[in-house]
Amino acid sequence: METNGEGRRSAPKLREIFTRQRQDSDASMTDCPDIEFNYDDADLPENEVTELYSYTEGPEYQLNLKAWEEVCGELGVVPLWQSASDVSHRALIIRLADHLELSSRTHRMRAARAILYIVQGCWGEVQSDREQGMWARRNVFLLVQCGVWASFLQLLHLEIDSPSNVGNSEGQRKLAVSASLADSADLRVILSVMYTIVETLRVPCDEDNEAQTQTRLCFCEELGQPQGEDGELVAMTLLGMVTKFCNSSAPHFPIRKVLLLLWKVLLSSLGGTQQLAIMKNEYRQKHGLQPCEEDTLAVARTMRASSPPASAADLIEQQNNQKRRPFRRQGLMKQSSLDDSVGELDLTAAADDDDQPTNDIDEPPDLPQPPSPRPGTPVANHTTNKGLPWTPKVRQKDIDSFLDNTRIKFVGFQLQGDRTSLAGLPQPIHEGVKVLSKHVYVSLSEKQIRQEEEMTKNPLSHPEIEVPQTPAEILYQAMLPTLPQCMIALLKILLAAAPTSKAKTDSINIMADVLPEEMPMTVVQSMKLGVDVNRHKEVLVKAVSATLLLLLKHFRLNHVYQFEFMSQHLVFANCIPLILKFFNQNIMAYVQAKNWIPLLDFPACVIGDPPEMTAEALEAGTAGLGSGNTSPGGSTCSPGGGITGDGGGIINQGTVTCCWRNMFSCTNLLRILNKLCKWKHSRIMMLVVFKSAPILKRTLKVKHAMMQLYVLKLLKMQTKYLGRQWRKTNMKTMSAIYQKVRHRLNDDWAYGNDPDARPWDFQAEECALRACVDRFNSRRYNSSIDPEFEPLDNCVTSVLGRPVELTEEFKKHYEVWLQQEVFSASIDWDQLLVPNI
Amino acid sequence: MPYWPLSGQVTLGLRWQQHGEYSQHPEYQNFYRWCDEAYEEMDSTLVVQQYIQQTIRLDHNNIDTILNAPETQDEGVWKYEHLRQFCMELNGLAVRLQGECQPSTCTQMTATEQWIFLCAAHKTPKECPAIDYTRHTLDGAACLLNSNKYFPSRVSIKESSVAKLGSVCRRVYRIFSHAYFHHRQIFDEFETETTLCRRFTVFVTKYNLMSRDNLIVPILEDESAGHGESEA
Repeated sequence: METNGEGRRSAPKLREIFTRQRQDSDASMTDCPDIEFNYDDADLPENEVTELYSYTEGPEYQLNLKAWEEVCGELGVVPLWQSASDVSHRALIIRLADHLELSSRTHRMRAARAILYIVQGCWGEVQSDREQGMWARRNVFLLVQCGVWASFLQLLHLEIDSPSNVGNSEGQRKLAVSASLADSADLRVILSVMYTIVETLRVPCDEDNEAQTQTRLCFCEELGQPQGEDGELVAMTLLGMVTKFCNSSAPHFPIRKVLLLLWKVLLSSLGGTQQLAIMKNEYRQKHGLQPCEEDTLAVARTMRASSPPASAADLIEQQNNQKRRPFRRQGLMKQSSLDDSVGELDLTAAADDDDQPTNDIDEPPDLPQPPSPRPGTPVANHTTNKGLPWTPKVRQKDIDSFLDNTRIKFVGFQLQGDRTSLAGLPQPIHEGVKVLSKHVYVSLSEKQIRQEEEMTKNPLSHPEIEVPQTPAEILYQAMLPTLPQCMIALLKILLAAAPTSKAKTDSINIMADVLPEEMPMTVVQSMKLGVDVNRHKEVLVKAVSATLLLLLKHFRLNHVYQFEFMSQHLVFANCIPLILKFFNQNIMAYVQAKNWIPLLDFPACVIGDPPEMTAEALEAGTAGLGSGNTSPGGSTCSPGGGITGDGGGIINQGTVTCCWRNMFSCTNLLRILNKLCKWKHSRIMMLVVFKSAPILKRTLKVKHAMMQLYVLKLLKMQTKYLGRQWRKTNMKTMSAIYQKVRHRLNDDWAYGNDPDARPWDFQAEECALRACVDRFNSRRYNSSIDPEFEPLDNCVTSVLGRPVELTEEFKKHYEVWLQQEVFSASIDWDQLLVPNI
Repeated sequence: MPYWPLSGQVTLGLRWQQHGEYSQHPEYQNFYRWCDEAYEEMDSTLVVQQYIQQTIRLDHNNIDTILNAPETQDEGVWKYEHLRQFCMELNGLAVRLQGECQPSTCTQMTATEQWIFLCAAHKTPKECPAIDYTRHTLDGAACLLNSNKYFPSRVSIKESSVAKLGSVCRRVYRIFSHAYFHHRQIFDEFETETTLCRRFTVFVTKYNLMSRDNLIVPILEDESAGHGESEA
């Protein structure tokens, strides 16, 4: 832990700076301004590319330029890109591609670096970052058209298999903690090229011509197909890298770039929010269901944020509450630590809860708040659209139980399976049923589950249907054998990168690709490194959370049991407490963190004069002020939202800007939690047991409608287990739930008379689900047909005509056998004719 | 004179090149002896291949005619069919090299001593001996060109698949250059019989599949230096 230790030695100063910042931000938000943030699949492409590079990689940009000049010199070409013709561009790329297949590593990597320089838009010749972006895009198309992607994929395989080039001689394997930036130099070059290509081709651009659009679409489509010599999915190669990194057989892998590339590969090949919505309606129609009109994100965008409920009185009340309720934690903990590898997690989470349940609560800025800082609930008065934001939904199951109950009450008996007859029921009940059935919503999952049931029940009359080979299906099939390991690996990284985690997991060192070989000497340097380290962690969280959410969404749509398989493995690997632990921090500070230095961001850092690193420049950076032509980091602009031309910190009319990537990660994590817990009593109970309510309530402080919506959903599902006292003291939150979250008619969410609520047999519930998932997997992907169901041969001639091998022994003593078994045994053939034996 | 089956569905492997078996067959006299037809009159499903093979059969030295596409011909398909043909004929060179180019002597794929190339026909590129490189590369090329995924049709080909031809050309060309620099006699014999290397050189220059600087076998310079110039 030497390197880490040194890194931390410089930390106090930094921490000082940060706490100062945090306090500042906290102080300024006593009036809780709205957060300006526009959720999307990803940030602006230029910001996404910027986040690829850490600041410690800074000196390497020049290496790319040098490599480019060297290669050009050797090939006898003038190292000027812009002035050369398209034909000579292509010729040069082809020659460089030739060099990528050289056996000498130095020459090969020099060509790769030269290509990286081209991918980076040949920044040595440009004047502005706009120009750089334009050239980068152009060059990416050119490279892809010349088949460079395939070459880099091969190079990646080559580097994965070759042992770390540095430190190979001394000692067998490098320890995780001693891996440093230099170990991954080659891999980082390759991954950077690949990432820039994927990220550029992921999003369309207005200036693309016909051929470019074609190239782009083809490229994205091929990403979802097996590629390369052995037909492996790129996503699987990268997931393999992640697992290798996590079981410390390859600690030198630059995990940040691997994860970013993985996320973008999945995003391009599977599709983002828009494609998901289209696909969802397509699949629904195929199953004979009405298309779904409502777009969650669109509705959430129009909603207004509620003012946060947190008040000192509330919080104290909560703490009392917690102490009063020991709950059945023991039982649940045993169940939740099914997986050993991340097993330490649940204990720590629980311990944290015990020791300092809400350590951020005691922070000064929270206490002076008056119980209700504003008169009334402003949201209620301000709703622009009359009525509820969501159309209410009812499940068929709910109608059934409603009918059962009323029949018992009025008629005295149940009618199993009868959903229509209302005989003997009073008029209001008729009306009730009418309203309910008007709002019935059948989800795709229900259809899929029913289909599965049918197939299990009738394996002969319902044979396996042909499964369409969608990108998600292909991915699932490829992932199936290693899915548990992949999930554990991703969560391990999430755990290590969470801001609240202590650096105790020395099995994985996520800092290998950000820590320089020489530790910083000056204050400015260590400040820079501090910012870099925090930024690095944030980017990791962003990539992991986005990847997990994307996978969950696509598997859910493709087949609900694929989703259940993945989510069950996430739950077993303790994803729920991990996410809760993540939110058990000063979330406002996290969301508004300013871990970026515009001066050092690519491409600003390479255009024009090299930036002078001074404390002032850093300050300017952390204050969110861009200078000159630099764009304000990855954060103040939001996709879809206006890009601020002046690049200044924008605080207009009660809204504040935030760190885009952190808001994005938080929203993703909340959505993952929602997906895992929805309709699952056992997991909702985990939310209760891990005391999520106070944590979630604090998260409501982030005044952003969409994020609040997901928090409120999580609170809603556990409200009935939180007790009367909690509801009494949290009426504001309750009404926010009522107002913002979709209503389920007949749903007794707040008072807990739900017949479904059986918090006791959660283990049985998980097991039943597990059985369904296993049956689904083995039937659909193991394709060994049960011999029971093979057609039986009952034709006399073919059965008797089958050759029978008789043993030598038998042949020898055949006569004896005949005598004993046939002749001497008396057989009463007449019995065959007697009826009813 | 090389022989090749008419059907494109036959694998591009080495097997059909073993003359012995074929030449002893009674039908052999008629094999690959169809009467010349005009391009417009050909009505098989493999017109382009038939046409290319016919022009080669007429005179393999007449490179311009061979590479000159009929007017209505789709360029992608034209390039694809030619490359296919090159790979098939290159098997002939591979067969000859087998006798002389041993893994023990030519341990690496080199042309001039300067560069050693990795064999890209594996998941992880490897340093294969020259003859293995030749086999693997031709085999890999055959797999790619016959792949249902990238080339499902021989009438129209996706632009993205056409883009894959360039790297095949670069890899295949190294076989020529290795033969030229290390097994000159075999190369010369083969070249006089087929003019394959020259045709390949003109082909890749004409369609910008390779950079002129990569074409290290000095085959155009000796007589018609300006040959491919105008096209490039």
